[in-house]
Amino acid sequence: MAEDKARYVITGGSAAGMAAAQAITEQDLNGIITVLSEEPDMPYFRPLIPYMVTGKKSAGDMQMSGNGPYKGSGIDIHVNSRVDSVNVSERTVSINGQGNISYDKLLLATGSRPYLPPEIKGADANGVFALRTLADAKAMAERVSVTDHAVMIGGGLLNLKAAFALLERGVKVTLVVYSPEVLSQLMEPDDALLIRNALDRAGLKIKTGCSATGILSDKSGVTGVSLDDGSEMPCQMICIGKGVRPNVDFLSGSEIIIDQGIVVNRYTACNTPGTYAAGDVAVTFDPVTGERIMTGLWTNAVEMGRCAGYNMTGRKTAYSGTFGIMNATQIADEPFVSMGIVHTKNTDYEVHVRNTGSTYRKVVFSPDNDRLLGVLFIGDITGAGMYRYVIRENMPINEIKSLIINQRLHYGHFIRN
Amino acid sequence: MSDELKVQEKSIDPAVQQMISKADEKGIVTVWDRYEAMTPQCGFGDTGLCCRHCLQGPCRINPFGEEPKTGICGATADVMVARGLDRAIAAGTAAHSGHAKHLAHTMMKMAKGEAKDYSIKDGDKLKAVAGRLGIAVEGREDMEIAKDVAAAALADFHEKETPVLWAATVVTPGRVKVLSDLGAVPKGIDHEVSEIMHRTLYGVDADAVNLLIAGIRCGVADLAGCYMGTDLADIMFGTPTPVVSKANMGTLKQDMVNIAVHGHNPVLSEIIVAVADDMKKEAVDAGAAGINIVGVCCTGNELMERHGIPSCTHSVSQEMAMLTGAVDAMVVDYQCIMPSVVTVAECMGTKIVTTMDLCKITGAEHIEFREEAAVEKAKEVIRVAIEVFDRRKGKPVDIPDIENTVIAGFSVESIVAALSKLDAEDPLKPLVDNIKNGNIRGVCLFAGCNNVKVPQDKNFKIMAERLLKENVLVVATGCGAGALMRHGFMDPANVDKLCGEGLKAVLTAIGEANGLNGPLPPVLHLGSCVDNSRAVALTVAVANYLGVDTDKLPVVASAAEAVSEKAVSIGVYAVAAGLPTHVGVMLPVLGSPAVTEILTDKVKELTGGYFIVDLDPESSADKLLAAIDERRKGLGL
Amino acid sequence: MSQPKEIFVVMSRCTACKTCEIACAVEHSGSKNLYGAISEKPIPKSRVYVEWVAPDGKVPIVCRHCEDAPCMHACISGAISRDDEGVVITDSDKCIGCWTCVMVCPYGVIGRHLEEHKAYRCDRCPDREIPACVSSCPTEALVYQTVDAFSSDARKDVAGEMLAGEGD
Ligand SMILES: Cc1cc2nc3c(=O)[nH]c(=O)nc-3n(C[C@H](O)[C@H](O)[C@H](O)COP(=O)(O)OP(=O)(O)OC[C@H]3O[C@@H](n4cnc5c(N)ncnc54)[C@H](O)[C@@H]3O)c2cc1C
Repeated sequence: MAEDKARYVITGGSAAGMAAAQAITEQDLNGIITVLSEEPDMPYFRPLIPYMVTGKKSAGDMQMSGNGPYKGSGIDIHVNSRVDSVNVSERTVSINGQGNISYDKLLLATGSRPYLPPEIKGADANGVFALRTLADAKAMAERVSVTDHAVMIGGGLLNLKAAFALLERGVKVTLVVYSPEVLSQLMEPDDALLIRNALDRAGLKIKTGCSATGILSDKSGVTGVSLDDGSEMPCQMICIGKGVRPNVDFLSGSEIIIDQGIVVNRYTACNTPGTYAAGDVAVTFDPVTGERIMTGLWTNAVEMGRCAGYNMTGRKTAYSGTFGIMNATQIADEPFVSMGIVHTKNTDYEVHVRNTGSTYRKVVFSPDNDRLLGVLFIGDITGAGMYRYVIRENMPINEIKSLIINQRLHYGHFIRN
Repeated sequence: MSDELKVQEKSIDPAVQQMISKADEKGIVTVWDRYEAMTPQCGFGDTGLCCRHCLQGPCRINPFGEEPKTGICGATADVMVARGLDRAIAAGTAAHSGHAKHLAHTMMKMAKGEAKDYSIKDGDKLKAVAGRLGIAVEGREDMEIAKDVAAAALADFHEKETPVLWAATVVTPGRVKVLSDLGAVPKGIDHEVSEIMHRTLYGVDADAVNLLIAGIRCGVADLAGCYMGTDLADIMFGTPTPVVSKANMGTLKQDMVNIAVHGHNPVLSEIIVAVADDMKKEAVDAGAAGINIVGVCCTGNELMERHGIPSCTHSVSQEMAMLTGAVDAMVVDYQCIMPSVVTVAECMGTKIVTTMDLCKITGAEHIEFREEAAVEKAKEVIRVAIEVFDRRKGKPVDIPDIENTVIAGFSVESIVAALSKLDAEDPLKPLVDNIKNGNIRGVCLFAGCNNVKVPQDKNFKIMAERLLKENVLVVATGCGAGALMRHGFMDPANVDKLCGEGLKAVLTAIGEANGLNGPLPPVLHLGSCVDNSRAVALTVAVANYLGVDTDKLPVVASAAEAVSEKAVSIGVYAVAAGLPTHVGVMLPVLGSPAVTEILTDKVKELTGGYFIVDLDPESSADKLLAAIDERRKGLGL
Repeated sequence: MSQPKEIFVVMSRCTACKTCEIACAVEHSGSKNLYGAISEKPIPKSRVYVEWVAPDGKVPIVCRHCEDAPCMHACISGAISRDDEGVVITDSDKCIGCWTCVMVCPYGVIGRHLEEHKAYRCDRCPDREIPACVSSCPTEALVYQTVDAFSSDARKDVAGEMLAGEGD
């Protein structure tokens, strides 16, 4: 391999896969990089797909190659190319059941797909979506013309983004949430008031404590949804947002260890030689607790992908893990950042909450009040990155504690420490 | 560091340009070098968002809406800007009225026989002023009347039963009502100044509108100070009548003892002029051809309008006079004297003589002036200059061969006298008729200073050229007058070149009727900066003649290159009088959009006047012309 | 290739006058002068921050254009890239205002333009030879130099070194 050109095969052309490919191009100028993607579209910034629904961005606007850090050169990308099995001893992958290609280093970056709860019957009807791919978004955008009312099942960030895209298109939207409040993954019900108000202001209807049991349809597609309280709601579109599951099916029978996701060591390597994994499909860990976790974060997929790319070229790089929660976004007119540990009910964490009416801040310290574990900022997210840094570096916070509680931290404080 | 300013960007006066180059060669630091070293200037101060009124400060508010959004005390941008502006108005008012107070004390000493070197030069004006103030004149000695006028003047400084008389009696009756309704009639000049200091103190007035109304009241008090200054100086030193003189550095003479009198108050400089003849022998004994007194800034204007004493230079180029190497002594009283003159003087062999207790400069020689011994002190000052000449004589000097003819000395009285040659019965009629028939489209007063941020004289020159061509009658005071006189605007020979046909006809008719065999100069020199009162007096006279208030007349004002806080207070009284008032440099108010809007727009509803802040002379002239036309339309012209 | 210049801070020289903040906002305005900038919409923003550390520390903080720029990699819309001079640039047309960059910047130097719903940051003043903050600093607390030239400077101090450090 030292003399020959190294063959890098990357399965999955999205955040993790493209970040790895880009990292490899920077490290190994001679390597042959092949990216295999099951999707029909060239790699794109997946989080932008709601803009396909609103019409504010075209598929071209979302391309990864040539944007951000992705130069796009020196990478051979194959779309419509699904890997259906991996032979780790031969070091080959099979594509679309039609042929094998060999690799020296293989990255598994197949991401995740939406979870469709089996108890929701009739989900195969026309007009039922689980927004994940550009193709989904295109189909959803088309369905808008015949949609007067859309029902979103699940109150997570993804469904909220989809809901806002539909609202923008003038569709009436109702959110059906099983939890007592929206965004339950990212904050506790008591924390969500400002967000809830913003959603109400934006005209979103929300039904909490309620779940869907069946989808009604006719030849035109969806006509309504039945709920567990016995009621029915007419609608022409349904969007299911009930979390994601890693795409690992194609690995069954290989020797690669799976525990929900693909298990890797600190250097993103799998148990089999020359095999790496990164992104939504990989099991990662929390840098503070060390706990193994699965996440669905673009930021993590890129970081882990880059790390894997370096390792594949032989530049040994430890991956530093990620918080299970690390989200920044703006919902309606309300920006927020949620990161680290923010669920504190029935725990002995030291929690500081400050609610000014227009901003909300929750700061979580360890029980021995020595470490920052998590923050939730709503309304004012100034300097969020420094709090992330404090959490991640597991910094002793004695001197800066009140600055953290008051959200007054700035970089100067680190210089002086 | 910014690029070095080219000479043309520093001054458009060719004499000054020569001296700037000389300073560069000699490595002498001048105002333009210091300006460069100061750039970029602090944006907080520039926008009025810096406050040092208490010891918790300094505070500054971010002009772009970021933190800090208020001062530590909670003062908003509006409050901070209004407070800062008020203090500038108070400072300007204190200065003009301080000048007037000095004259009032001198007059009182004269009336009491304690200042024998002073006398009443214009008894008619004394009686006219006394009459206006309600002081009996019939059958009384001038000195008695003068004593009462001086007492009335001094009384106008403190709070008393009556309002400030020099304000209440000098505007139209309509204006008295406008100002009363606004609560802008001053109770006492010093009272208004000190009340501004009070209300802008930590934790007092925090209402921008209320602050600005107090500012306007103080501005009206400034009008009183200016008006008083003019009145008392005219009484003691004579009301100006047209006089021929010269301007620019060519007025310095290599073989004479050159004394530059600089500052504002004629109290001392008048005496210097008076004793110069007596001192000639001493000068000749020292080898000089004589004594040559030249003016700098408004002391120069005061002497020019009354005695035809030439003006050497003005305002921002004051250091340049010394660069010639020919100024033996620069005798200063107060206001607009850059402390740097001492440094330049040291390099050039000039002696700086300070004369007033409130204006000493480290490194200068101080000869304390006393009205009781005025002649003696004036001689002492001249002797200093002769001594310097003695050392200088025979050495080369660099006097730029540049001087302009100036006709100065246009007081309201002399203007009316000139007009009466056209219509003895109704002297204002010819003026008003020409305004009505459009020969005179409007009137513009140029006032104020030269600012280092503007190429010296450029704004004045461009704007005056535009307005004269458009038949606007241009009058000028202070260093605005200084700028225009150094570019030929006060030389009747240039009427043809500079003025539009209508204006030319009017200036020529008046000139001919007065036996000048030609026109009046294109721009009328009204005097020093306190003499802005003359512009107000003229406006009020025309308004009363027409039976309208001053805010209806096609009269505008411009401080095109303002520097001093005095220019701010003058601007405020011009606005209070109802005039559209242009300022050609930025006032430190932009940090408060609300205050900016009040000053440039909303105040119109209160006084009829408003500020036009525009740094571009071309568009400024457009705006003044538009304001003039709007008012003509209002009058149905 | 010659080493690119960077903005260094000599903390001991900073008087916290905040002139740099104003100069920066003005440079990032349409009119590029204070009097015009002050009333512009959208309101111009400064990308340098003068902060205070009790009891008397004055710390100008400016984007380091980190070698491993976390903001660039984290951006979910491809709006952040590095130009040939090594300057990390936010393309505001591509920015969707998700604030992910704000969440990951350990220096806290990415601002949020609320009216515009866009993130903004130091661009090292592409129209100028010397960035506006540096040329405006009346005490020369901000220095525009190559790393080598700056570190060989006798006045090199700890603060400068720290601020020159790369992102995490
Ligand atoms: C609408 C939306 C908004 C989001 N917003 C945010 C956000 O704001 N912040 C954030 O951090 N995250 C966000 N996410 C999540 C983020 O997009 C994912 O975490 C991220 O895309 C994961 O990247 P990945 O490379 O691991 O996998 P994926 O992006 O899932 O890509 C995997 C790719 O592999 C392909 N693939 C799968 N199996 C195979 C196979 N066997 N052979 C070949 N190809 C295969 C898939 O088709 C896909 O193209 C959002 C997601 C969505 C859908």
